[in-house]
Amino acid sequence: MSKIDYHHLIQEDKIHGSLYIDEAIYEDELEKLFYSSWVFIGHESEIKKRGDYITRDIGRSSVIMVRGKDEDIQVIVNRCQHRGNLLCNESQGNKRNFTCPYHGWVFGLNGDLLDVSYPGGFDKPLEELNLEVLVTDSYRGFVFASFKKPTVSFDDYLGHGKALIDRACNMSPNGKIDLKGGWIRQHFDANWKMLPENDTDGYHVNYVHQSFVRAIDSQYGDFVGAEDTIKGVIKNWGNGHTEIDFAPGYTKTLDWLGSTPEKVKSYVESMTATYGKETADKMLYDGPPHACIFPNLFLAEMNIVIFQPTGSNSAVQWSTPMFLDGASELDFKLLRQSEGALGPASFLLADDASIAERAQKALGAGTPWCDLSRGLNRETEDSDGVITSHMTDETSNRGFWHHYRSLMTGELS
Amino acid sequence: MSTTVSAELAKALEGFIIKEAKLADEGQYEAWESLWADDAVYWVPLRDGDDPTQQVSHLYDNRRRLATRIRQLMTGYRYSQLPISGMRRLISNYEFFAEDDGRYRVEANFFLPEYSIQSIHDFRIWSGRYVYTLSAKDDDFQIHTKKVLLVNGTEPVPTMAFLI
Repeated sequence: MSKIDYHHLIQEDKIHGSLYIDEAIYEDELEKLFYSSWVFIGHESEIKKRGDYITRDIGRSSVIMVRGKDEDIQVIVNRCQHRGNLLCNESQGNKRNFTCPYHGWVFGLNGDLLDVSYPGGFDKPLEELNLEVLVTDSYRGFVFASFKKPTVSFDDYLGHGKALIDRACNMSPNGKIDLKGGWIRQHFDANWKMLPENDTDGYHVNYVHQSFVRAIDSQYGDFVGAEDTIKGVIKNWGNGHTEIDFAPGYTKTLDWLGSTPEKVKSYVESMTATYGKETADKMLYDGPPHACIFPNLFLAEMNIVIFQPTGSNSAVQWSTPMFLDGASELDFKLLRQSEGALGPASFLLADDASIAERAQKALGAGTPWCDLSRGLNRETEDSDGVITSHMTDETSNRGFWHHYRSLMTGELS
Repeated sequence: MSTTVSAELAKALEGFIIKEAKLADEGQYEAWESLWADDAVYWVPLRDGDDPTQQVSHLYDNRRRLATRIRQLMTGYRYSQLPISGMRRLISNYEFFAEDDGRYRVEANFFLPEYSIQSIHDFRIWSGRYVYTLSAKDDDFQIHTKKVLLVNGTEPVPTMAFLI
């Protein structure tokens, strides 16, 4: 049993700095959040054909997400059951089966051991040494998995996250996104939890991104102003899923795309054809979600982002543009917007990384408390339990941390 | 078809690239920006051969975005380059080509030690290949494209807010 007192470290209005630096807590997180609970692996559009695969790192384990012979998708541990060698060294590719480079053992796309070289000296039934397969489920192409069967069902885990994923996918006139643009990977010398925290923190924009706001005319410029002029809201959707809802602050259709209906006429027409004018108009005004799905997926408006912990003091943020099936005329714009916002040379995330690393450095010097009280005096909760507050409030981070606490204490898993 | 250039022209092209590198290393942002032509493409793909209309890059700036990048660096609030990293890049293994359209293509390897002093004071090494397209302008040259092929572009890379 864990000796770490998470109820002490995570309180209603403050959290302890050791949560970002303590090695024992990091190990505990790998075990409870990344090996025994649902985590995002990848999207079906990344592996379109039979035999297509991608590799991802979940905690310290490399996994393969592969489309098998019945078009079904499996997530398999990337480790030969013979002597533990890495089966796939590439980040993506296409294979008929997985052959270990060490002694030539051959595994099928479903992980079954098919053949052993020089079988005369091997007397076990092959099926005893099939590859380890993760518990896998998916929603609208978003594939999630767990090494151990989670006690919480996939539906209960996603909860309101389904509606957030729906909003992202429905930005496509065909209801489908396509992650074919490649992944930028940005290294952070900071704890992984600072990434989801920061990505739904509506309070830092005026400060961390001051240079961006001053240098460029963008939709974010509208959110810089006195406290009572900010119309966007922050939401805690439950289960650790959180959102900055920018829509109330938008002033015109397609503000979120930095475009107008005249400039992207065919996209507007195909959206109208699919969803009807009234619904399409609202979707094109409100835009995609800016929301984190606990623990490692970020629906980053027109991008998809993955958080990957690589140690108590380091993390990698993956980002790719969210291309819309049926709207390829937007691809070039989405590529350039993705590079502008996300990645090591971007106008935004480069500064977020430096600020996170400064926090990591400061927290490492001692074990202070971090305040988490902002907005407790003005939140509202609806009948579904969804909590909403001013865009700059820490409602989102409280949502993240209090769900984190329930998993780490074993009250949920 | 591309052809090789005279030793004299090669020396002049090399001198221009050394100047560009020095301005980038020292954060002389306006002087660096003035080296670029109107059709500028400043590009760091993930890997050689990527198509920037289909695949995401670390950066892909046209002239307008390049100007925004410089404006952002000059606001005094670009935390990822505040203060500017310590940098002194070495450029070597040059190859010089004259192209049919009157432009020059220069390729060279680079080795860029960066002392990143904005947060954790980390000493980093960047390396790869520069591919420039240049043309004559007045008594000097101007940059049409600068493609930077990092040796580790597909791997996780740390903050790269400086001019690479």
